[in-house]
Amino acid sequence: MNVHDLNPKKTLITLVAFTLLLVIGFFTMNKPLLSYQLNLEQSLADLKLEEACFQPADLNAFLTQDSKDIILIDIRDRFSFGQGHIPGAKNISAYDLSQEENIELLNEYKMNKVTVVLYGNDQLQANGSWMLFRQVGFDNVKVLLGGYNYYLAHAKDLMASKDLTDYKLGSAKYDYAKLAQAKNEISSSSTTTKKKPIKIRRKKKKAVASGGC
Amino acid sequence: MNRNYFFLTALMLLLAIGTMFLSKSEQQKQIEPDKLLWEIIQPTRYVSTDEVAKLIIQNDPSIELIDVRTPKEFAEFSLPNAINIPLDSIVTTSSLEYFGIPGMNVIFFSNDAIQADQGWVMTKRLGFDATYVMKGGLNRWIETIIQPTEPKETAPQTEFDIYQFRKGAQIYFTGAKVETTTNAKKNKVVIKRRKKTVTASGGC
Repeated sequence: MNVHDLNPKKTLITLVAFTLLLVIGFFTMNKPLLSYQLNLEQSLADLKLEEACFQPADLNAFLTQDSKDIILIDIRDRFSFGQGHIPGAKNISAYDLSQEENIELLNEYKMNKVTVVLYGNDQLQANGSWMLFRQVGFDNVKVLLGGYNYYLAHAKDLMASKDLTDYKLGSAKYDYAKLAQAKNEISSSSTTTKKKPIKIRRKKKKAVASGGC
Repeated sequence: MNRNYFFLTALMLLLAIGTMFLSKSEQQKQIEPDKLLWEIIQPTRYVSTDEVAKLIIQNDPSIELIDVRTPKEFAEFSLPNAINIPLDSIVTTSSLEYFGIPGMNVIFFSNDAIQADQGWVMTKRLGFDATYVMKGGLNRWIETIIQPTEPKETAPQTEFDIYQFRKGAQIYFTGAKVETTTNAKKNKVVIKRRKKTVTASGGC
């Protein structure tokens, strides 16, 4: 006589309790705020997307308030932001970006299909944060090419930068091989006048030493 | 035997098999996104071209220079003893063997710092430490080491010290001739050697 035979429903009760525990555990599990949505290969492919970048010329639409679906986030610290920033930009420093309320804000923007443009002093400053937020699934996050410095230099005529490519990074500015190999031609830029070579006269030996031990 | 036991055993086995599929999705160990973001914020990963030049000149055995540009660009010019791992293939298993070697400091570089920084983020996501980015990349390498510009006369002494180092590094990396002076007004230097009056004759 088994103990289960006394109460045939005992197994069923145990089973239900067990599954219930699993289900409760699954839903109350502490979910991480961020999790990777793109794997490594996808992340690398994502870097090449043209639409993941924000051209300086496109800032005009934001500045003239024509498009309401662009939000600029200045990821520099408050001090730099206070010294100068793109008008209308929101200041959430890189340190604060991972806070829960800011992640929720980003989620909200994503739901409403609002484009979020991150910028720092240069593209490099915002590069890491931009990569991370795209990797965790915020495909509405873009990076401002050229950063604040480029904006500052071209603020008067942003449309003109449409035809320029000087804010695009990644290409070689110089012919490295040529410069590194031009051994004797390299000279300091400050010398403009011709320099005469210094002649060092070596004393000729007058007489042969004669004699000896 | 009770029928229920079979039922429970079958359920447990099913769950056990289920867990096998769970672990399959994540092959490589990655650090948490918020931890990665914290690492990204730190500016400590950047090294200057001067520091890199110094390490190369000193023949530091612990540095590993990684060129993330394309093989074509790498063939044309690169830093001495650099290893070429194009950014596209940075997370392949054969490339990852170069990272995480104990005692080695990896320095990424590209034309400017962007691609190198992207390579840094990708390897950081996989949890590799002791990785750095050469700030300014090869463009700044040329501007500072290969073609250093002289600081203004009013510049502080430290800038002149850096300039002196860069001139030395320039000679090291290019074999450029030593510039004795930049003052154009200087006259010819004639070195007069004292003539020996008497030739040594005879001996002991």
